[in-house]
Amino acid sequence: MIGVIAWATCREAVRSRTFLLLLAVYLLGVLMSRIVGWISATDGNVITTDVVFSLQSIMGVLVAVATGTALVHVEIQQKTLYTVLSRPLPRWQFVLGKYLGLCLALAAGQVAMLIIGLIYLAATGAPVHYWLLIAGLLTIVEVLVMAAVSLCWTALSSPLLAAVLGLATYALGHAVHSLPGLVHHLKGTQQTIAIALASLVPDLGQFAYRNEAVYRTPIALDDLLMRLVYGGLWCALLVFITIAVIRRKQL
Amino acid sequence: MSADAILTFTNVSFTYRGDWLQRVQALKKVDLTVPRGSAFGFLGANGAGKSTSIKLVMGLLHGHQGDIRMFGQPLGDHRLRARIGYLPEHPYFYDNLAVGEYLAYMARLSGLAPDAIPAAIDRVCQLLDLADLKKRMLGSFSKGMRQRFGLAQAIIHQPDLLVLDEPFSGLDPLWRARFREVMALERKRGATLCFSTHILSDVEDLCDHYGVIDHGVVLEQGRLEDLVKQAPLVLTGSGPMPSAAMGNHDGTWRWQFPEAEREKNLATLPVGAQILRLERNRIGLEDYFVARVKAFHAAGKRLDGTGAA
Repeated sequence: MIGVIAWATCREAVRSRTFLLLLAVYLLGVLMSRIVGWISATDGNVITTDVVFSLQSIMGVLVAVATGTALVHVEIQQKTLYTVLSRPLPRWQFVLGKYLGLCLALAAGQVAMLIIGLIYLAATGAPVHYWLLIAGLLTIVEVLVMAAVSLCWTALSSPLLAAVLGLATYALGHAVHSLPGLVHHLKGTQQTIAIALASLVPDLGQFAYRNEAVYRTPIALDDLLMRLVYGGLWCALLVFITIAVIRRKQL
Repeated sequence: MSADAILTFTNVSFTYRGDWLQRVQALKKVDLTVPRGSAFGFLGANGAGKSTSIKLVMGLLHGHQGDIRMFGQPLGDHRLRARIGYLPEHPYFYDNLAVGEYLAYMARLSGLAPDAIPAAIDRVCQLLDLADLKKRMLGSFSKGMRQRFGLAQAIIHQPDLLVLDEPFSGLDPLWRARFREVMALERKRGATLCFSTHILSDVEDLCDHYGVIDHGVVLEQGRLEDLVKQAPLVLTGSGPMPSAAMGNHDGTWRWQFPEAEREKNLATLPVGAQILRLERNRIGLEDYFVARVKAFHAAGKRLDGTGAA
């Protein structure tokens, strides 16, 4: 049942205008990235690569927030889920299937972006190497975590508020990565509170390997695995919260 | 609970909890029985509690008091829903899925074996004239087409119980007639029909059982023939006019009396009076509701169904 829901959700998502529009914006951005490379004072190839990979992350997160926030709430508003939930399946399977379907669509979009980006870099003479693939993989994980964040916020609030909170979580998620460097300035309770608050949002800096990859800075295998597990655990926790909320929801 | 009941509500109450502790009691100690194999018409005005009752059955709402049983078993086991087909009120579907894709999706969720799905899709598409639209995206459908598709997805797995919330809403007369045919076919197949409406003629045409709900209280339920008998008879005649009759401008006369007085009145017609027609005066729903609610209040009962005020 979960697979059936996931596949239908994926098909619905990849055909949506938002998804296709943001993919088109990505293409346009990639084509323009060379211009940024030309006008930059440093190595043009490095800047172009950086822009292409940053675009993949930003567009991926925007698609994740836009589709993630709409995923369940629009179903409730338009009552499309009535015909689905009237079938012999428990709600947790519905939520999990929806999330996995969204992940499938987002991952497909991300892989498409990664391939387009790498082909473009190769065509424009920028170096293409193994570490860029790792950076792409970690960006995909970041996008999937953001999809779970958006889904969770939607279950707890309205779609508009969820989108705002989703983007705020994205900003905070990157900010908390630099917290360990700052926290030693705080003392006692302040330090404890700062650490406690930081642990409430996913540390998205764990997946921002883009800059290092551009300069071919290696990442250890165990470090990579730890980051993947960290992302997976956040996804599981957020989907679990969403299921707990949706199970109690009156439709 | 009757052994022949496919769906029963026993003393069921339900309250919507809104923001700021706002509460609306939608159902008040509802007792309702849908007999197995019947066509049950659930009558009520907008906001009467029909959709709330249906949503409780479908598991879309929860937290009711009282006992609801389907196929003799209490609600809660989601597997029971494999035996139900449901058409929601004003149905919407995924815009970016095609008719064939969505029907296959619903069939899989209902537990149909993958190799049985193409035949099931063909069957419902033929019944509801969707065969040429299988590849069309649902986002392009009009309200009436969505309603047709809604019925198709509800019957694709040949359910034992068909729950339809305002099934005739948004349909033109031709499709209303076709829906009646499809519903009759489903019943012939062995399905129990349970549908809500506020149009009495739909119930008269299709149902053998009915229930009337108003402000969350079931005012009455039973066999339709008993309800129809409550409608007065209208005798149209010519020639000498009975004293209680009223003359028509074409020279005929019209005499309205209750069913109970049929024999007596026919026997006491003036000599030479000719009967042209004897028919039942169809009860207008609005008049019927007003009469029922007024009678309910006149009997000194409160709308919460607790008896004397």
